[in-house]
Amino acid sequence: MSELAFKDKVVGMKQAVEEYVHDGDTVYLAGFIQGEPFAAVHEIIRQGKKDLTISTAAGTILVDQLIGSGCTKRVISSYVWNPVPTSAHAFRRAIEQDIPHHIELEEYSLFALSLAYFAGALDLPYVATKTLMGSDLAKRSGFLGDKKISIQQSPFTGETVCLIPPLKHDVGIIQVQRSDAQGNAQLWGVEGPTKYGIQSCSRIIVCTEEIVEQEIVRRDPARTIVPGFKVSAVVEEPWGSHPSYVQGIYDRDWKYFPFYDESTKTIEGFNNFVKDWIMDIRDRKEYLAKVGDERLNKLRGSSLTSNPVDYGHYDVF
Amino acid sequence: MNHNNEYTAVEMMIIATAREIQDGDIVFVGTYWPILAGLLAKRTHAPTSLIVLEGGVIRDSNPERIPLVVSDPCMISGSLLCGDCFDTLGMILHAGQADAALLSATTVDKYGNINTTCVGDYSKPKTRLSGSGGACDFGCLANKVLIMLEHHKRRFPERVDYVTTPGYLEGFDSREKAGLKPNTGPSAVITTLGLFRFESDSKEMYLDAHYPGIDVQKVKESMGWELKVSPEVKIITPPTEKELRTLREDVDPDGMFLRDARTVS
Repeated sequence: MSELAFKDKVVGMKQAVEEYVHDGDTVYLAGFIQGEPFAAVHEIIRQGKKDLTISTAAGTILVDQLIGSGCTKRVISSYVWNPVPTSAHAFRRAIEQDIPHHIELEEYSLFALSLAYFAGALDLPYVATKTLMGSDLAKRSGFLGDKKISIQQSPFTGETVCLIPPLKHDVGIIQVQRSDAQGNAQLWGVEGPTKYGIQSCSRIIVCTEEIVEQEIVRRDPARTIVPGFKVSAVVEEPWGSHPSYVQGIYDRDWKYFPFYDESTKTIEGFNNFVKDWIMDIRDRKEYLAKVGDERLNKLRGSSLTSNPVDYGHYDVF
Repeated sequence: MNHNNEYTAVEMMIIATAREIQDGDIVFVGTYWPILAGLLAKRTHAPTSLIVLEGGVIRDSNPERIPLVVSDPCMISGSLLCGDCFDTLGMILHAGQADAALLSATTVDKYGNINTTCVGDYSKPKTRLSGSGGACDFGCLANKVLIMLEHHKRRFPERVDYVTTPGYLEGFDSREKAGLKPNTGPSAVITTLGLFRFESDSKEMYLDAHYPGIDVQKVKESMGWELKVSPEVKIITPPTEKELRTLREDVDPDGMFLRDARTVS
């Protein structure tokens, strides 16, 4: 159905999360070091969503905050860390001590997880691969049990292969450079498995640095990572990925990660952090005011534009 | 900066790893020490090596600053290809075209298996670590896996608690029996004491070379099993002035890794 293709879906972050993220949902978080949807996740934490299954390729402090805030029942990822690099403390407390409560984990390698998203996006029954075998990622499973992977012989060559079933999600959240009001979302820079992860979701929230006229999308359609007809909501949220980065718009705030490390080593420290930086803040505007113009200006960086590409007019025979 | 013959064990580890990369190699680089080794090789003896990132980047030139994580925005600007995991982990690594992969490790065992997941039992670990990321894929699929870690005895158990990244599993032909492609797997483990390789038949790790001033007995005592030592054990050439200068002044001039400036908030 293409009915969603022509609809203006622009809403505020609060409304998007209220309407499209429900307790108990399986939530895909897009991004790969770049473009992590921090603004949306902070709103999920403020709204106190519960029992979420969080699925993401590269779990960083975004996932750590969701775990420590008690929103998360399960995590599917290839790792969870604080890219200083150091440990993600709330994740550690949850796994080692069930604080604030027990969480269940399912771990794949990055490429195996990418293939699971790919299978989910295409609605394939499984994909076969030569990665993962021999590792304990293949031998040990979490809540997916024997539905995690299956080691089989190829019916074509007889060689040993690893079958990976599809992963699908109730809702996906992506932060992009630009989108039109219908949700034709355009992303550039490193993608990880975002294209497949986001298209394996029943509902999609596009958070964008800027809402642009549709003509801008039409002038460079190769950059569209999600077609608007699949999108449920579009939220204009500048700096929505801070302290992660958005290529060409702002740099990764590398000082934030050691700050987060220091701040969250204890439960009390973590709780204070969440209070100061998430719960006591109404929205992204207040958050940005707290980060401060001085830091934000430093992260803006300088410009390096590409030459325009030519798609041509084709109007005569 | 003052250049004399003094160098740190970490600098020696980075330089010894860089020397394992050949000019023209297609090199997947993991985070932390591998970033420095990959960039150093490119700036010294391997200028036509390609640096490939798991998230979807191929670059043939040096970035404008040192990336603190591999998918840093400085690695994207000026790259040859910027796309997704299927472009790199898929159509290069899985396709068998990765000449080398550089990985850091928390613990490594007798057969080159890497654990970056947990200390103790997986279901109730004493210490939970980050996990795999693309490391398991590198270890499964790259033709030459180079493993870097600072040497402590506790980081070399006879058997790792959890195989995040397969090396030669239980040795001999167990890696191929598990379904992994032939002619892939660990090529060397490079630490702050020396360089280790794997026996061609048993696939057991042995000491191939050590750094100047390091005693073989000390290396043996720093392992969690009875380490085999090559009968022709070599002493690794100390860093050349060019290698040291390039590492300190070109690769990491701000000391983000070498002086740990990145952890200062």
